[in-house]
Amino acid sequence: MLILNQLAPYHWAIAGAGIGVLTLFLLAVAKKRLGVSTGFENVCSLVLNAPYFQRESLVSSHSWRLPILLGLIGGGALSAVLGGTWSPTWDLGVFDALIGWGPVGKVLWMFGGGLLIGFGTRMAGGCTSGHGIFGISNMELSGVVTAICFMAAGIVTSNLIYRVILGV
Amino acid sequence: MPVFYVAFGVVFGWILSRSGAADYNYVQGMFLFTEFQLYGIIGTAVVVTAPGLILLKRKGIVPSTKPQHRGNILGGLLFGIGWSITGMCPGPILVNLGEGKLYAIAALAGMLVGAGAFGSLYPKLAGPLGLPQIKSK
Repeated sequence: MLILNQLAPYHWAIAGAGIGVLTLFLLAVAKKRLGVSTGFENVCSLVLNAPYFQRESLVSSHSWRLPILLGLIGGGALSAVLGGTWSPTWDLGVFDALIGWGPVGKVLWMFGGGLLIGFGTRMAGGCTSGHGIFGISNMELSGVVTAICFMAAGIVTSNLIYRVILGV
Repeated sequence: MPVFYVAFGVVFGWILSRSGAADYNYVQGMFLFTEFQLYGIIGTAVVVTAPGLILLKRKGIVPSTKPQHRGNILGGLLFGIGWSITGMCPGPILVNLGEGKLYAIAALAGMLVGAGAFGSLYPKLAGPLGLPQIKSK
């Protein structure tokens, strides 16, 4: 069950095929390489003047990366509304059951994790979509190396938190 | 054509929302090897995308490729820790925000600050990590 409205998730083959088709569709129709995390640099470039954020290749991609970010928020909202109800929640599933921090603890935890995601994905040059799905599908060494590293770090961290520290 | 890209994001976000990819429990289940779901999704996405890319390249549609450098390793490791902590990768941060999960606001703020810090430190990091030179406009 999903945390969202206790819905049953799609079968993994359906969801995975859907993402694959979307990736190919974006390339075939719009000539764009799927990737989400670069879009956060587009957001940064609206307020930061560092040369990195004003580079031509980034600024010229505002017109498509920023709308995709907005669409992702919209897709989540639509999924909640049509899946029963949209209501603000702090529900964090197994984190609540085993760690049980309230909103203040969660905000600090999430902000810290977000820092690592923002800094790390930009240093790596991509995230699960651009390096993981697109990079591996395109047989790029950078994608394979990055994906091995983020999967390994995630596996170690979650096992450290839940198995070693919490002893689940 | 911003409408096209917004619509694309909505469909992508919907799939992430309804598949478990934007769900803390499924992400932990992946990293703890108790849930196959997200491995199945990523694996199927690659199995569908890879042959499609070969066909598109034959038709002359050749995507850009991402450069290799030491940042792939260090950045990938940092991102993986953050993915485990938050239960969200970058797309799902936005999807969770849309779903009404309030903690996603904090993850989004952290992500933007982290990306901003990286860009500001880029001149110092580029040498040691072997990052590509940036072309300013």
